[in-house]
Amino acid sequence: MSRVLVGVKRVIDYAVKIRVKPDKSGVVTDGVKHSMNPFDEIAVEEAVRMKEKKLASEVIAVSCGPAQSQETLRTALAMGADRAIHVEVAGAEYETMQPIHVAKILAKLSKDEKADIVIVGKQAIDDDSNQTAQMTAALLDWPQGTFASKVEKTDAGLTVTREIDGGLETIKTKVPVVISADLRLNEPRYATLPNIMKAKKKPLKKLTAKDLGVDLAPRIKVINVEDPPKAKKKPLKKLTAKDLGVDLAPRIKVISVEDPPVRQAGSIVPDVDTLVAKLKEGGHV
Amino acid sequence: MRNQLVSQIIKHTIVSRAHLTPEMALRLLTPQCSLWSAPPEENPFKDPYWAFYWPGGQASARYILDNKHLVKGRVVVDVGCGCGASAIAAAMGNARRAVANDIDPVAILASQLNAQLNGVAIDTSSEDLVGTVCSCDLVVVGDMLYDEEFADRLFSWLTRLARDGKLVLIGDPGRDGLTGERRSQLSLMRSYPLPKNICEENHGYTDANVWRLKAD
Repeated sequence: MSRVLVGVKRVIDYAVKIRVKPDKSGVVTDGVKHSMNPFDEIAVEEAVRMKEKKLASEVIAVSCGPAQSQETLRTALAMGADRAIHVEVAGAEYETMQPIHVAKILAKLSKDEKADIVIVGKQAIDDDSNQTAQMTAALLDWPQGTFASKVEKTDAGLTVTREIDGGLETIKTKVPVVISADLRLNEPRYATLPNIMKAKKKPLKKLTAKDLGVDLAPRIKVINVEDPPKAKKKPLKKLTAKDLGVDLAPRIKVISVEDPPVRQAGSIVPDVDTLVAKLKEGGHV
Repeated sequence: MRNQLVSQIIKHTIVSRAHLTPEMALRLLTPQCSLWSAPPEENPFKDPYWAFYWPGGQASARYILDNKHLVKGRVVVDVGCGCGASAIAAAMGNARRAVANDIDPVAILASQLNAQLNGVAIDTSSEDLVGTVCSCDLVVVGDMLYDEEFADRLFSWLTRLARDGKLVLIGDPGRDGLTGERRSQLSLMRSYPLPKNICEENHGYTDANVWRLKAD
């Protein structure tokens, strides 16, 4: 049976209205509601279903980020993951962390934990990079099934249905493999009270990128973050009737305005014969 | 205080037989109850472990009901009893004395309510028994190995009890505390597939086992 590693990212909640910081260095995150990246919820759900179908023996959730990422990991544990690993990355290092760094961390952990399947969301809704699955597969030299909308076990590995432009592509891969979850893969379950209670006690290991030998030196520099451009105003010319030389002097006088008459209720007849008889009686036919 | 707690328990739970021991009615917090999907901070009870019939507890109670000869005429202690199911099962199996033990006083109340519901008499104790000399014949532990730290403490105590000649039964769906090393000290007595609703309520678990701690 396989061991599954799932990557989960803590992002600004999808329902929050995003505000850009006045100095344009990024977006406002302080005091803003965060939750698990929705595509990662789908990834966790798929991993837990694999465990419930006895295709997986263990599900390990991993998150790279500040201390609060542990809340996201607890959600993954309440959804049914068995244990969690928090790779703490905070402050300036977190701001410049990129998919390449996360991929290196996931690749190293996959080896350390002897994982057979890595599942991540296809992209995070904050930076929209869509690179982590692909880079992790490349670093491990494993096959990849990205944008998965269906994953099935077959004899030698997995059959993955992929959402591609204009249709669905079905591929077969061997295990080990990296999968990225698309929107239609499943509907994630909610964390309920008994599962939240037991999740509080599930093991959560803390590591740093350094422990894993991953260098977090920035590879890019953010120059500027701006609000999206506002829609351009279409021309709307204002005129008066006078400009057009039209005299608006009244030509009619309103005497009264009333509701339309209320329609009388009809009657229901039991069959066609009665209907015909009634119509004849009323002189309609 | 007691009456207030009792009415709170009754308000927030329903009587359920939809579990591995349908011959037993239990007041439980189920998906039909509003607190089921409410955030934990809105719950009037702090960590209401007694409000759920955990898969491991279902397996140990089922096993007792299927093997009543093990409890008949014996003194049985259900450690960490929660809703009291294993103690009630022992009482149904004509144990000389069935004791529901839990350090949460609300669990003791819930166990008493549940015993009443099933027309059996149980004794209760809210003492922390772990580490003490326990005068009994049989110790039942249902789903208590979910916390690694506590599992250490509990398991070394149980090992001592088994060495002293007591029968120690552990119901467990595969929690973290049941490490490979510990499993080598156990004999598997029975494995129960969980009913569909119980699987859906317990994310990631499909079976629950009953283990017996070896005496040596």
